[in-house]
Amino acid sequence: MGDIQNSAPTFGARKNIDPSQNAVKRLQTELMQLMTSPAPGVSAFPSADGNLLSWRATIEGPEDTPYAGLTFKLSFEFPANYPYAPPTVLFRTPIYHPNVDFSGRICLDILKDKWTAAYNTQTVLLSLQSLLGEPNNASPLNGEAAELWDKDPTLFKTKVMDRHRDIDDD
Amino acid sequence: MPAAVGSRWQDRRRRVFQSVYQTDLSPPPPQAVALPSANLSFSQGLQYLSGTGPTVTSGSFYDEDTQEATQPAFYNQPDQGLLVSHTPSNSFHSTVTAASQPSQVLLGAPDTGSGDQVAYDSAWRLVTARITLPSSVTSPTSSGNLSPDAALPSAEFCDALAHIVHASTLLPGALRTDDIFSWHTHQVRAHFSQHVIPLLSGCLDTGGTGDGDPRKVSDQERYKSSQYERHMVVVMSSIRTLEAALRLYSHGFDLLVKGITQAKSAAAFGTPVVNVEILVNRFRRDIHALVGNSASQQLTKSLRAVLVRLVGNILGIPSEDGDDDDARNFKSRRPAPPTDDDFKALAARQRLHELVEQLHNVGLAGERFQVLFAEVMNWMMSAFVCGAYAGVWSATDRRSLSSVLNTVSKGTGSSVTSPCIISLMDWIENHFARLSFEVLSRISHGSVSPVTLSDLKTYQSLALGRLSTLRIAELFDIVLAWPDSRGALDDLRATITTSARRLQLTSHFTQALKTRLLHPGCSTLEILQTYIDIIHTFHALDHSKVLLGHVEPSLKLYLWQREDAVRIVVTGLLASPEEVRAARKAKEISKQQAEQKKAGKRSEASTRRGAGKGPVVTPTTTGRSSRTTSTTTRQRDDLHESSMRTPGTTPITGKSTGTGKLVELALLLNDPTKTRHTLVEDEELDWNDMNWVPDPVDAGANYKRPKSEDVIGTLISALGSEDVFIKEFASIVAERLLSLSDPARFDQELRVLDLLKRRFGEAALQNCDVMIKDIEDSRRLDVDIRRAWDEQRTLTAATPMMMSGHFLRSADKRKKAALQRQQQQEPTQYHARVLSRLFWPALDREHFLLPDPIIEEQKRYEQGYEHLKSNRKLTWLNQLGTVRVELELRDRTVTVDCTTPQATVIYAFNDSDSDNGHGIEIDNKPPARRTVDELYTTLQMDEDLITSCLEYWVSKSVLRRLRSPANTQGSHTYVVIESLSDPIVDDNDDQFFKDDDIFGNPTTSVPAQEGAQPAEDPKQESNKPAMDPKEQERRTIYWQYIKGMLTNASASMPLAQMAMMMKMLIADGFPWTNEELGEFLAEKIAEGEMELVSGGKYRLVKK
Repeated sequence: MGDIQNSAPTFGARKNIDPSQNAVKRLQTELMQLMTSPAPGVSAFPSADGNLLSWRATIEGPEDTPYAGLTFKLSFEFPANYPYAPPTVLFRTPIYHPNVDFSGRICLDILKDKWTAAYNTQTVLLSLQSLLGEPNNASPLNGEAAELWDKDPTLFKTKVMDRHRDIDDD
Repeated sequence: MPAAVGSRWQDRRRRVFQSVYQTDLSPPPPQAVALPSANLSFSQGLQYLSGTGPTVTSGSFYDEDTQEATQPAFYNQPDQGLLVSHTPSNSFHSTVTAASQPSQVLLGAPDTGSGDQVAYDSAWRLVTARITLPSSVTSPTSSGNLSPDAALPSAEFCDALAHIVHASTLLPGALRTDDIFSWHTHQVRAHFSQHVIPLLSGCLDTGGTGDGDPRKVSDQERYKSSQYERHMVVVMSSIRTLEAALRLYSHGFDLLVKGITQAKSAAAFGTPVVNVEILVNRFRRDIHALVGNSASQQLTKSLRAVLVRLVGNILGIPSEDGDDDDARNFKSRRPAPPTDDDFKALAARQRLHELVEQLHNVGLAGERFQVLFAEVMNWMMSAFVCGAYAGVWSATDRRSLSSVLNTVSKGTGSSVTSPCIISLMDWIENHFARLSFEVLSRISHGSVSPVTLSDLKTYQSLALGRLSTLRIAELFDIVLAWPDSRGALDDLRATITTSARRLQLTSHFTQALKTRLLHPGCSTLEILQTYIDIIHTFHALDHSKVLLGHVEPSLKLYLWQREDAVRIVVTGLLASPEEVRAARKAKEISKQQAEQKKAGKRSEASTRRGAGKGPVVTPTTTGRSSRTTSTTTRQRDDLHESSMRTPGTTPITGKSTGTGKLVELALLLNDPTKTRHTLVEDEELDWNDMNWVPDPVDAGANYKRPKSEDVIGTLISALGSEDVFIKEFASIVAERLLSLSDPARFDQELRVLDLLKRRFGEAALQNCDVMIKDIEDSRRLDVDIRRAWDEQRTLTAATPMMMSGHFLRSADKRKKAALQRQQQQEPTQYHARVLSRLFWPALDREHFLLPDPIIEEQKRYEQGYEHLKSNRKLTWLNQLGTVRVELELRDRTVTVDCTTPQATVIYAFNDSDSDNGHGIEIDNKPPARRTVDELYTTLQMDEDLITSCLEYWVSKSVLRRLRSPANTQGSHTYVVIESLSDPIVDDNDDQFFKDDDIFGNPTTSVPAQEGAQPAEDPKQESNKPAMDPKEQERRTIYWQYIKGMLTNASASMPLAQMAMMMKMLIADGFPWTNEELGEFLAEKIAEGEMELVSGGKYRLVKK
């Protein structure tokens, strides 16, 4: 992580490069890092249209959670001033989760006010993965889910399975 | 009624004719029938009833016609129709002549009864009858008959003629008069078209038969061999026919003219005097126009053939279809200007003059002939240039040729020095222009000289253009023949004077490059060698390098695809003097062979030519000239050192006979003349430069005059970015520095380094500097450590980092094979080279266990080093070392320099000795043997590496591989060959040795493993150790990318899109081509990781 922080300014040190160029460089580096040291259960890649500011990611549901065995697709939209502003992350796969609403929006502090440039795609993905197992029921976007999470895990699991649906890209 | 009138008319006519022609055979004016339409049928009837046989198309039909004249008119209707029907009834001009007046008589006589008119008519009849043409032209009788008559016109004729000509004064009553001359001209035209043209075409159709000589027809067997003869016959018979016809025509005309001149004196009637001159000229012009326009395609063809032959002989261009003997050697003969005493040329010249004269006389020398002649001359010029100068490149080659003609006028092109051009100019002036002059002056009328000095200049510039075209077409071969082709470059330089030609040159050469060089069939080395020659050649051609700049792009573009280009250039630059000498020697030999071959061929050819053409070139002079060629080229070779290939269409494969390196570069680098040259030309403006020329017109806007030829510089800059070059250079230098057994010799490296520094700057090559310094420092350090050992053995422990070491053991590390139990007690000499890790290219560590004595040495060395340089630590790169190994075997001692892994492996065969203690009870011991698996466990070395090391020793006849026993699969056993004279023991010996095997039953101790060994792969890997792990790493990362892409971006993608994404997303670039990626994906498919779905898309297999 520290490496990335340090390396970004060196790229940016070149003169007259527009800010999004910095973001692209940084994302290229992140991608390289993702590829060279992939984390289990998560992966991400720029979208097929070749726009480096728009990524697609995949999270596998962690074991011992209602999401075990499921795969979730996400989309990352990076702002031009990334990494100084957080990416916009959405679940593209419908998910039944206390902190995710029905259009896929996520309530996660590091994607909002807690974002720092020290985070990167991989850390975000890992955070989201852990969010699947440990939802923040204090600030739910899906109140019913937050309620059921504690009250009725079985029903919760059923809801999760009902809601889940593999999406196809093509 | 019609019959009565007809007979009267015919009677009169017959009387008239008989009065003129004494013989009955003389025909009346043929058909005579341009009647007004009202009288047409009528007069036809008359004619046929008359029985005089009026219609004749040719002499051969004549008799028949007269005999059958009594037959009904319609019998001959077709013939008659032929003659008349195409004639508009009221058109006198295009028609068959003669009878316009008679028709007027018919109409007019009864009405007017005018005496004048009658007198005029009769005079007209008299005159026309006298000059009426016979139907046959060439028949000897008709022409023979005419000649006596032609002597003088009779008085009667003169009178009649006077009446006609001066009708207005003598016969004022005659209302219907006509111009006798135009009548005659019409008659001639009609006659020509009816009789002469068929005859002419007869001449053409049957070739030789036209002149009535049947012998020619029977000579069919000669038909092919003497095309020229045949064409000549056609032309001559045509000329003869025309001559006869013209004689006929001018006969009548002469009669008229003479009659007029005679009558003129007698008749001073005050009438306008007829200007005879004008009439004669007009008549001649008419006739010539008639003849000139009548020349058929076929006659033109024949005439062309004749001209080609004659002109070719005169100008010294061998014809392709000659029937004489030396025409068979056509291929081997070059066109050469004939000497003054060349009989054939003289004869041909004579013949041509006659022919032109004749053609002119019969009127065939009109515009068409001139065009034809111009075409032939044009063709001759091209043929001469192509024939005489194609492949003639070296200046000395042509000395014999040009010395023969030292008559070159000084006026032309004084600045031109190329022998080719001089001889060409000479040919143009003394042969080509001369011939043109001779021919054109014979057929031109005016007093103006047909070939002026400016024409000559035009010819010469045309010829130069041809020469330049030829040289441009040959340019690629010229490049290949460098430096023997300098003469050709002189030609080219003198001739490419316009930007259009320069453009032609560059485009043509680029094309030639594409088809002949830049294809997979040529190795990179060949391309680079050719490139060097191209640089030389184009520099000689054009100092400004503009032409080279236009040619280079395609070459550069192609070279960028060749990955080994940089490496070849660098190794070429670093070639050792020995290699250079070897290459030079090889070249020398091949050159001499080529020279011998060439000289032999040439003298043979010249002998042939000498025999054929007289004392133009004698074999002795050729021999001398070829000798001089060889010596001069050799001298030149010493200066420039370019590889020699035989000129011509030799494929360029012949050139890489040397060491497989671009030694040319090393030579250039070491060439002192070159460097001095650069220094001189460093001056921005050299005021003493007498050869200064302005920048060429096709130079670019920011064109900067290059300083010198600078082959190396051009080559390096052609290889793409300097980063790539420097990187490659560093890795090669690293390899060389590590492999050099004698570290003192860096001369070549340093020189190249200096050169590159000048080009790229100090900073870029800092790494190389450090590398060389490392090696030098190591040597000093080595000495220091050794001294320190001697002085103190106290070991200081130090723990820092950042310095990795590479050790080199260059001296004796004594080892013995199993059965020589003498343990060497003398200490092993151990040297190391210390490399600064950051400045060297990535060098991988290969793990294996060194022999214990070496490890001890290593430790001592390490301690010594850490003692000297505290805070630093050595990391050993064991696989990079070299070892001198001395193996004492039963019957011999083997000493080799090998790599550390190889030494380690062979040392492993020694291990048992120490276990068993020392002793010399050798002879009973079986030779030591090891299996690959044993070595694998004891040495912890990579199996492939082990195998390749074993194979190395097998190749040195130290080890022998036993055939793998049936029960152990894949793990081969190797055994020491203690004595070369030992019989080769094989598998079955296993049994025999099993009991006392020193390794405790090797065949069973190690579990069998699959395919441990193919010898090829590990060798290759060990050759370039830096490449493969990196490649492997790359592939892993790429696979991650692909997986990430197909997991997230899109579940399935076509290959091209994947390649595009990879190129875009990988910051360091994605060097694979689509094909390589395809192969990689195919591997993955084979591994079951991916699958190919419809539409050529790939996707991951879902698990």
